[in-house]
Amino acid sequence: MFELEVGSDARDTVSGPVTPVIETAELTKTYGESRGIDGVSMTVEAGEVFGFLGPNGAGKTTTIRTLLDLLHPTSGSARVFGLDSRRDTLRIRARTGNLPGDFAYDARLTGREVIDLFARLRGISDLGRARDLAERFEADLDRPLAELSRGNRQKVGLVQAMFHEPELLILDEPTSGLDPLMQEEFLKVVREARERGGTVFLSSHDLDEVERVCDRVGIIRHGRLVDVEEVADLTERAYRHVTLEFSGPVDAAEFAAIAGVTELERSGNRIAFKAQSNLDAVIKAAARHELVDIELTHPSLEEIFLTFYGEHGPR
Amino acid sequence: MTTRVEAAAGARRDLTPQPALSVFGTLVRRGMRDRRRAPLSWGGSLGAMSALIVAIWPSIEGSISKAVRSYPRGLKEAFGIGELNNVAAYLDAEMFSLIVPLALSFFAVRVITSAIASAEEAGHLDTLLAAPVSRRVLVASALATAAAMSAVILAVLGTASWIAGAIAGSGLPLGRLVAALVGVWALAMLFAGLAALATGPLRRPAAVTAVATGTLIAMYVIDLLGKIARDVEPVRWASAFRYYDSPLADGLDPLAAAGLALTGVGLAAVGALLLERRDIR
Repeated sequence: MFELEVGSDARDTVSGPVTPVIETAELTKTYGESRGIDGVSMTVEAGEVFGFLGPNGAGKTTTIRTLLDLLHPTSGSARVFGLDSRRDTLRIRARTGNLPGDFAYDARLTGREVIDLFARLRGISDLGRARDLAERFEADLDRPLAELSRGNRQKVGLVQAMFHEPELLILDEPTSGLDPLMQEEFLKVVREARERGGTVFLSSHDLDEVERVCDRVGIIRHGRLVDVEEVADLTERAYRHVTLEFSGPVDAAEFAAIAGVTELERSGNRIAFKAQSNLDAVIKAAARHELVDIELTHPSLEEIFLTFYGEHGPR
Repeated sequence: MTTRVEAAAGARRDLTPQPALSVFGTLVRRGMRDRRRAPLSWGGSLGAMSALIVAIWPSIEGSISKAVRSYPRGLKEAFGIGELNNVAAYLDAEMFSLIVPLALSFFAVRVITSAIASAEEAGHLDTLLAAPVSRRVLVASALATAAAMSAVILAVLGTASWIAGAIAGSGLPLGRLVAALVGVWALAMLFAGLAALATGPLRRPAAVTAVATGTLIAMYVIDLLGKIARDVEPVRWASAFRYYDSPLADGLDPLAAAGLALTGVGLAAVGALLLERRDIR
């Protein structure tokens, strides 16, 4: 079991130590004999965007649902704003906005009725922010949820999660179903939330998305938190698949000699390899020859997990 | 603890949980709006049947009394058919001994199942319970919605019957009619409470409905058999229909009605505690 004390050196100030927004200790949830999460210990500090990265079924949603007291932990504990996730759940949820992975509510209601209901439940009378968010996400609030596509329903869910300007946003796969333009808008709204001092806990299986908006990432696999690191470090370690096709034969050793190039394969006039961080040298070396085609692809998240974290934990 | 954050517009927002009563009121109003057609569909159809029975009473009064006198004694005892010599007894035999109590109890069970078990199955509770809404308030609001909507349906039914009786000159006594409506409402609350209790351990709406309506039917059968079979009579006490009895024909037992309704509330309270202790899937 991996126990990662991340950020435990909470920023001390003259007024005392800063309470982490989320703090879990050996948080474990099992469903009968099935695995949920196992000994997850992490902290998320105020004002950060924390990415919770893992393949489908890794335990991201279980962690989120345990933080929200929808699931009760089998063992371990979770604190949000320094409050116990079970005993003080109402106070936590009042200060939190949540978007489930697949936003669902009574399909007969329009988006406007959903927002109105949640505004009443939260005691919010000013819906200016909701209107602003709906406009930015181009959310259709006038049609019943039953008539909306998954992406459009997700937009209503985003408005519902954010309209009350919560101190903590917990978003489970928030961009699934959104088109690329809306994904951009979403990332902008998340950055704005951070600028206002809010904290965002964002689960995703999209490395790109996490790289672009998160400060740190926790990586969960098979229910276990295998690593927590700065996004910059993750990006540094990330590699690209590079395929170069030349008009004639090229000496592969020229590319094999470049630092960070591994798993080089040659087939006719085509050379394929993995390049980690040193793309500039690769491009310059390729430019010395007559290049017919170049292909750069990001590895899948699963591939990164297998490369860096293997089957049983971090390498 | 009061927490405020600076909103984009410069307004300060209060991010403390709303009082339970306010959340309860919001959920009940929403629940009633969601079922705003029920008075027309349930109340209208039951009211139309009831009104028809009351309206035709003056024209069939003599022949019905004669026919009933020829029924076997056991049959009359089983279905609570005494002398059908007045409209209240006739309406009781036709509507209030079986159809109305069963229909209203089933409606109340449906309201509870839809607000909790069906909402959980559809993933709606994930959204609702991520807001500052406690599970106790959720169950209480579902029960209150069932109580309020059942009352509205019964009011439609009662009004239709009363108007039909007044027009046809059937002489339906208002006091007995109100007593019957109160009796049915109390019975429906018991089964609403039972459904709420079932949502404590059970997640599937079909299972919750089966437990509540299965008990409803079983209790009806026990009461029915208890009236005609000496061996079953000793267990009649376990049937809610024993306490519902025939308020339209014989008048309401206020203690029995209060007992049924309060038992429903008690069962719902236990259901809320069980729901709090389990995971929402």
